[in-house]
Amino acid sequence: MKGKIIVAGIVIVAALIFGMVSFVESNIEYVDFSKAEHIAKKVQVKGKWNKDKESVFNAEKSQFSFYMVDDNNRECKVVLDGAKPNNFELATEIVVKGKLQDGYFHASEILTKCPSKYEGDGEAVKKTI
Amino acid sequence: MLGAILVKITFASTLFSVILYFFNFRKHSDELLKYARQFYYIAVSGFLIISGMMLYFILTHQFQYYYVWAYSSTDLPLPLLVSTFYAGQEGSFMLWALYTSIIGLFLIRYSSKKGYETELMLVYTTILSFLLLMLLVKNPFKFIWEQFPDELYHVGPVPPDVLNYAWIDKARALWATIPVEGKGLNPLLQNYWMAIHPQILFIGFTAMSIPFAYAVAAMLKRDYVSWIRVAAPWTIFGALALGSGIIIGGYWAYETLGWGGYWGWDPVENSSLVPWLVCVASIHTMLAQRKNGTYIKTNFVLSLLCFILVLYSTFLTRSGVLGDTSVHSFVDPGMWVYWLLLMLILIFAVIGFGLFAARWKEMPVVPVEHTFVSREFALFLGASALVISSIFILIGTSSPIITSILKGKTSAVDISYYITTTLPLGVIIALLSGIGQLLWWKRSDGKTLLHQLILPSMLALLLTLTAVFMGAHHPAMIIFIFAASIGLFANLIVGARIIKGNPKMAGGAITHIGIALMFLGFVSSEKYDSKETLNLEEGKTVNALGYSLKYIGYKPLERGRFAFNVEVEKNGKKFIVAPVMFEGESEGSVIRNPDIINLGTKDFYLSPLALEAQDEHSSSNEVTLMEKESVEKDGMKIEYLGYKFSQSAETGNFIQAQLKVTQNGKTEILTPTLTNNAGKFSFTEAKLKNSNVGISIKILKPGNESEGKSSITISLSGIPASVETEKAPQRDVLVVEASIKPFINLVWIGTFSLMIGFVITIVRRAKESLRFAEKWK
Repeated sequence: MKGKIIVAGIVIVAALIFGMVSFVESNIEYVDFSKAEHIAKKVQVKGKWNKDKESVFNAEKSQFSFYMVDDNNRECKVVLDGAKPNNFELATEIVVKGKLQDGYFHASEILTKCPSKYEGDGEAVKKTI
Repeated sequence: MLGAILVKITFASTLFSVILYFFNFRKHSDELLKYARQFYYIAVSGFLIISGMMLYFILTHQFQYYYVWAYSSTDLPLPLLVSTFYAGQEGSFMLWALYTSIIGLFLIRYSSKKGYETELMLVYTTILSFLLLMLLVKNPFKFIWEQFPDELYHVGPVPPDVLNYAWIDKARALWATIPVEGKGLNPLLQNYWMAIHPQILFIGFTAMSIPFAYAVAAMLKRDYVSWIRVAAPWTIFGALALGSGIIIGGYWAYETLGWGGYWGWDPVENSSLVPWLVCVASIHTMLAQRKNGTYIKTNFVLSLLCFILVLYSTFLTRSGVLGDTSVHSFVDPGMWVYWLLLMLILIFAVIGFGLFAARWKEMPVVPVEHTFVSREFALFLGASALVISSIFILIGTSSPIITSILKGKTSAVDISYYITTTLPLGVIIALLSGIGQLLWWKRSDGKTLLHQLILPSMLALLLTLTAVFMGAHHPAMIIFIFAASIGLFANLIVGARIIKGNPKMAGGAITHIGIALMFLGFVSSEKYDSKETLNLEEGKTVNALGYSLKYIGYKPLERGRFAFNVEVEKNGKKFIVAPVMFEGESEGSVIRNPDIINLGTKDFYLSPLALEAQDEHSSSNEVTLMEKESVEKDGMKIEYLGYKFSQSAETGNFIQAQLKVTQNGKTEILTPTLTNNAGKFSFTEAKLKNSNVGISIKILKPGNESEGKSSITISLSGIPASVETEKAPQRDVLVVEASIKPFINLVWIGTFSLMIGFVITIVRRAKESLRFAEKWK
């Protein structure tokens, strides 16, 4: 009986160590553009879309590029693999995941945060009166 | 006003029910039990009335209610209009509470026959009252002017042109405007899955509270053994309901979101998968306990966790704590909701585990008697693998919280984390699901097992080799396929034997066949899919992925949507794929829905990316070249040699570009020109000899020391039809992502099989527990 507990214990400990290592390795750090430049790993940056600058979908490469301003007001070009996300215009904030290389942020994934989901604002109600 | 009062009345009667069940628990009397039930019935009626009112307000577009205004609008078709009921925080809690109260009616009937009603309903009504607390904190019947007093309140006489208003205080001439239109439902949610998925998911959430309630009730009753027979059918029901909810959510994502998958390891998905895995693990350990009495404590812990993890999931996804790390991220709902959700977890964890600790010493310890080669040990290992994978997923999903506590900064894990951690466990689970079925209780003979494994292993090897032959080449995937195949064939063999004997007992085998099929489907459709981004010019055939595609134009659908018809052909078989795009609630935001053709062995998945008008000026007839650079175009090689610049009084600035053009082995120098006479530009085309092809300058950048070499943009005309095809200007180009998902049907067939297996087992266990209850009396 004791033997079984020891075997099970070892298996569980090994599993947890394995999980921890994978966790640390795959953790995507939250940084700003200035820091992202110096990190070769995949990172994520939070910011806002600069609507004044051009945003283009390149159909040949299937990439969507736009300019984003991070929380420290640094602007950087972002090139996303894929089309413009569905709720892009609505987003109050966006999070891009990827790597900053060769002067632009190459994003593999993008998250949009939409204000309309749970709370309404005063501007919205004026439109519907 | 009435709504808020009714919520309070419902809350009060639920609370009375809790109290009466409690007194009945302290000292039983039939009278008390009768009243406890009656208050419960009043509470259920209350829920029905509140929900009915809300639905009525939505259907009649009563935008004076904030909730109705915030989530619905007059242009929604009926099923979607109904589904706005649970589009927001308050409504979804209302739905959850409604289902909890209704399922309680069945629980009373079921548990009263087994002498479990008082304790069970004491816990269950407590859960219900806490769900209701949410509605007290966030009133679903709040008036819109309470939300927006600055915008909507007015003092003085009502202008004659204002028709939609309500008096707040007539004596003080205080009135409020009522909007005439609602804000509407998020366009992403506007499809029929919205009518089904949340409902089933909330039934699943409700069902997860039942194992918890039974576990606490059993500890209150000091019944550590027979409770699992009473609870088992409900635990399996929980796995069925929550599992269906999760799967339907996955299918929704696959069918409408267009990123081509059904599972994205998003916190919202993960956090409902975690309690499901724990629930499934508890089904296995309950089975072991019922056979030889072991795992008593394990069963309590797992049953308690089912519900606490659902509460944790609710906290993660509703409190705003995930912030920016989730696709489904919700905006902060306010401090009240945050603390209430956190409190819910703590309260029920304290109730459950506090009692567990108090009863710890009383619980009988049954020594484990089975050997390594026994069905019990396989069940234990399988349950452990399920629990460990749920822990991994839980840690990954909670990483924003963990990292913010440890490092002060939130960060999420990459999707790869979930795959590296769950894949090896998936292999173990698949193998055990096969081997476990071949083993006997208590003790099996190693030799017999090996003997029995020969046939499934041979078949699995054959299937794996077929998969390798078809293109599976990653070692980890090959191992996974092999493990899943063993699970599949072992269960098929065992299942066939059971069905011949007693089909009512085949639930387990059918469930495991489902899991194995799903595993195989996951690998083929997610790992070995093929994808290509295509530009489909209207009327022009493009070949990709072994199919020929032709965009043949769009047609408008209802509510401002457009279907983009693409004719797809392979081996003479033609079908139309029609992905949909439409403008979302704000200008310029585009919602895209893919279209899928199920071809039996694979899905042809077409996701629209953009529709681009092909205008003349930016057409592909233009080429930009740097000096000394050359390009191959339409059967010609064009090299830009440079330009000559001259100035004269009559002609102004005169630029002559020099291009070396080679066509059919003959080389010519063409010199198109550009003149700029006092701001008036004129272009002269240069034509190739013996051909209609002409080249003219569009833009010429002279180049200097800082900008480097000069560059030129030229435009070509008169390209022969055979080269240019039948292209006309102003043709639309549909940009799509086409993909092939091999054997994705295995996933769907597998889930059906899983669910059918669960249903068969529920029926069997429910009958068994009734028989058991009779014997018991």
